[in-house]
Amino acid sequence: MRQSEEDREKLGAPPAHESYLTDGTTVMSWLNTRDHKRVGVMFLVAVVFFLFLGGVFALAIRMKLLYPGPFLFDALTYNRLFTLHGVTMIFLFMIPAIPSAFGNFVLPLMIGARDVAFPRLNLASFYVYLAGAVLAVWAMVHGGADTGWTFYTPYSTTTPTMLFPLLLGVFIIGFSSIMTGINFIVTVHTLRAPGIGWMRVPLFVWGIYATSVIQVLATPVLGLTVLLVALERVLGFGIFDPARGGDPVLFQHFFWFYSHPAVYIMVLPAMGVISECVATFSRKNPFGYKAIAFSSLGIAFVGFFTWGHHLFVAGQSVFDNGVFGVLSMFVGIFTAVKVFNWVGTMYRGAISFKTPFAYICGFLFFLVFGGMTGVALATVALDVHWHDTYFVVAHFHFIMVGAVIMGFLAALHYWFPKMFGRTYHEGWGLVAASLIILGFNATFIPQFLLGNNGMPRRYYQYPEHFQALNVASTAGATLLGFGFIIIFIYLVIALRWGPRCEQNPWRSKGFEWLTPSPPPTHNFDKIPHITQDPHDYRTHAPSGVYTDV
Amino acid sequence: MTENGEHHSALPYFIVWVALVILTVTTYRTGRMHLGTWALPLALTIAVTKSLLVILFFMHLWEQKGANRIVIGTSFVFVALIISLTVADVATRFPLATPAGAPFGSDIPAQLEEPAPEYQPPAGKIGEPPRGVPEPK
Amino acid sequence: MSEAAALPPGEHLVHGTDPHLAHHFSSLERQVDASRLGMWLFLSTEVLLFAGLFTGYAVYRYSFPVAFAASARTSEIWAGTLNTIVLITSSLTVALAIHFVRAGRQRAAVACLAITLFFALAFLGIKAIEYTAHFHEHQLPGRYYRFEGVRLPGAEMYWALYFLMTGLHGLHVVIGMTVLAVIAWRTAHGYYSAHYYVGIELAGLYWHLVDLIWIFLYPLLYLI
Repeated sequence: MRQSEEDREKLGAPPAHESYLTDGTTVMSWLNTRDHKRVGVMFLVAVVFFLFLGGVFALAIRMKLLYPGPFLFDALTYNRLFTLHGVTMIFLFMIPAIPSAFGNFVLPLMIGARDVAFPRLNLASFYVYLAGAVLAVWAMVHGGADTGWTFYTPYSTTTPTMLFPLLLGVFIIGFSSIMTGINFIVTVHTLRAPGIGWMRVPLFVWGIYATSVIQVLATPVLGLTVLLVALERVLGFGIFDPARGGDPVLFQHFFWFYSHPAVYIMVLPAMGVISECVATFSRKNPFGYKAIAFSSLGIAFVGFFTWGHHLFVAGQSVFDNGVFGVLSMFVGIFTAVKVFNWVGTMYRGAISFKTPFAYICGFLFFLVFGGMTGVALATVALDVHWHDTYFVVAHFHFIMVGAVIMGFLAALHYWFPKMFGRTYHEGWGLVAASLIILGFNATFIPQFLLGNNGMPRRYYQYPEHFQALNVASTAGATLLGFGFIIIFIYLVIALRWGPRCEQNPWRSKGFEWLTPSPPPTHNFDKIPHITQDPHDYRTHAPSGVYTDV
Repeated sequence: MTENGEHHSALPYFIVWVALVILTVTTYRTGRMHLGTWALPLALTIAVTKSLLVILFFMHLWEQKGANRIVIGTSFVFVALIISLTVADVATRFPLATPAGAPFGSDIPAQLEEPAPEYQPPAGKIGEPPRGVPEPK
Repeated sequence: MSEAAALPPGEHLVHGTDPHLAHHFSSLERQVDASRLGMWLFLSTEVLLFAGLFTGYAVYRYSFPVAFAASARTSEIWAGTLNTIVLITSSLTVALAIHFVRAGRQRAAVACLAITLFFALAFLGIKAIEYTAHFHEHQLPGRYYRFEGVRLPGAEMYWALYFLMTGLHGLHVVIGMTVLAVIAWRTAHGYYSAHYYVGIELAGLYWHLVDLIWIFLYPLLYLI
């Protein structure tokens, strides 16, 4: 509408500069790239595909749950569907999405580097991810497992469904995660441009750094765990088999030692994105830069101490229940620090209500409610009632979808001009954001009520009196799906026909906007010397007037 | 390329090697003595000493940057974390909820008449209930 | 305050100053630091990988102390002890190899790497003898356990953990040997010098880790 016409008048013909997109247009130049930006774009395409695949599984589940009795497909298929939904969404989408797609693209730009520390390792991480993903999809096509993405023993060691390729796929994807984590940590340590000390590193980089620490420390334990299950299935090693003296709960200890920090792998990058967007769209300095930076590290560290809260009713000892219950509360402190800082940043800022800001609003609302229900679940006495009900499902979807996917969509809309040099239709952006936020609420708030009223999760059939809320939830899921489809449509249109934009359409002070949009392959003609703090929107006049870049 | 502490002699490596061999012999001899409760802490202390010698001198961590030390130090902290809280679970459970009733049942030598039976996965065909499970009414 | 690049700001990076220098690093020293940090990070992932097995060992040792002690006594202690000495010595020789490259003595370095490989093979050979002995005695993991000498609950767990831990360790020995063989070949063909020896250093770090893991496995599995 108006915005694009003005742009077309101002910019006229597409700019003539070379960019990473035009530097080599053959397929091989993409498949054999060392350029972190191209690797990031390839990851983006892959994770978006798996987001839609996982969404299809989710919609299938919700369709079945329209009716309390058997409908559409049988119970075994239903079990497979929720397993595949979980595995696809978590391992194939959520873990790599923001770090490997946006982190890869933006992190070197934000620290004034020409690439990540190990470019070939970066490319390898993409192929390893693809290999694991292909294996997992192959397992799905051939029937797939019915254990849930949590693979609890003893069912996972004895189920006759095809588990081995799925386990192997997850194992391989773990390597990709570790490679990315190592690459990012070394990049931040050794490739910062002159002037970028640790306290001048942008907040998204802090988020990615903390995420990478978790990826490096936690993922090997997942690798070992799936390996042990596979060995027990294939060779009968019996580590978790009570008949041999084993302990099935030990599996849960191993599994959650990774999987709880894994949720912080998913959420910390989203929080980093929100930190960037809040500063940009409030045109105001972060309320507390150090608080946000150190709380990222705090979440990464404390997140490792809390895994036992998934085992409260599994047979874990009362002593450990108490310890983990208390430790789980601490993570909430760091998250609260961040939320207060974001709100403090927006307060008295010059708010620019663009599409990324709409996602910020959704993120904040969902993070607060998801986080508070998390603290409630961490209370052992309450978890006895809520464990394995839809209350837990709603809680983690509030964080996983409500917070992380809002962060992903915010990143997508914020950095779309940077990555592709074009802008999308702002009106449709806001429409889709509204649909998603509304649809999300309609999907998952009924699930809190269902869970509190006792509906168990992963059940194929349910008592009739739960049907109304289930129908509401499915209606919301459909709305959510429409929102995603609309985003996909207008972004693809923008990729091809969107108006070209200037270098810094958001007038952001982020360091990545110092390069052209899209950037050239070598990122910077000259390595910049940064003399300003990140996200610094002050003028040097004391009146607090905010100027353009 | 020069580094701090570049030594021109290989002697330090041999000294460390001798120390490691002595510690190995020590742990072997004390291990054979069957010291009861002190066996494990002693063995772990010797192992930690040996590993510190390898890490600091063979792997040159003594002369390297702080970041590398923090990395490996943090990983050992997390190893301690996973072991301690998991063992704490098994150690403080209601006794009959532990593997095979351990530790209360495990110090009596079992009088097995025959080896444990061959392991049979309980499930039949996919989708059917496992063998031996009564059909629901 | 900032430990940033050594080059003055705004300077174009000069390509071709050093054939080993990648275009995105400001100096070779920084690149080598990055490689080392990357390797230490990778080593910490290996430590965490074995941590799970050590946890399983701790849990089941706590649960079945008598079975574990009895089973450890029936293990091939001579083989474990000899393997420990073998690995410690191989750590020495790989450290010496790096020392010799830094001193410019390429052939001595290659010889040390070859000796390291020999020790690695010796380790695997002794392990093979051990495993054969265990197969004959039916000291096997999980449901295959048939050893008459120790018939206690938990003996199966001991042997499951024994084979898992030494098996995973053995896999890492094989990987380390492969890496060392490649590095030895490259050293012999002059890829490394006193000026640039990162490859040998990183391979050495990996090999020391293999030794480190065994330092902990040996007393826990064989002695106590």
